[in-house]
Amino acid sequence: MEQPRDLTVEAPRAWDRPVVTVPVLACLSLVGGQLPSFSAQANLWTLGTGGALIWLGLGNRVPRRPAPVRLGRGAVWWVLPVAVFGVLEGATFALSAGDEFPTFSRLADPFLEDELVRSAAWFGWLAAFWGLVRR
Amino acid sequence: MMRAIAIAGFLTALLLLAVLEWLARRPGSRVPSLAEVCAYVMRYEVGPVPVGRIGVFGFWWWLGWHFLAR
Repeated sequence: MEQPRDLTVEAPRAWDRPVVTVPVLACLSLVGGQLPSFSAQANLWTLGTGGALIWLGLGNRVPRRPAPVRLGRGAVWWVLPVAVFGVLEGATFALSAGDEFPTFSRLADPFLEDELVRSAAWFGWLAAFWGLVRR
Repeated sequence: MMRAIAIAGFLTALLLLAVLEWLARRPGSRVPSLAEVCAYVMRYEVGPVPVGRIGVFGFWWWLGWHFLAR
């Protein structure tokens, strides 16, 4: 009898373990962290790694964790930080006051100029992306 | 003054995210984790099209491009 997909658990694949994925993501992040802003290489690396993860995530090539069928009322709390961030980002973007009233991107730029911080940001982005692909 | 408000506001939003995630990971919590919220949104489909997955992936892709390539 066919089982609903959410109830089935696939056997883990040899490469689908943190001991494999973390070093791979770390290597990709170190390369990404070396690429300067606004360069063609940085654009291609972002589009390439993101595109590959989307390709994996939209197919059935990677086993997925079961998703909740419904969320409890506590989920409404997540609207709060999103709203605070969204209103502030919208206001700073609309006013375009530069460093007087900066957007989040403008505040983050000086930190992301450092290669180590940039690599760490790359790792966070890719690790979260990988987490989404497996959901 | 306005700069301080912006910095404080963004830090508040990030702090709220961290507190909510911490609350969500406590045993018996009624608040779902951010990963569970994302997984729920990603379930949304219109016919055979996984609109939720495409939307979340697209947003995350754009975010990475915005901060890491520009």
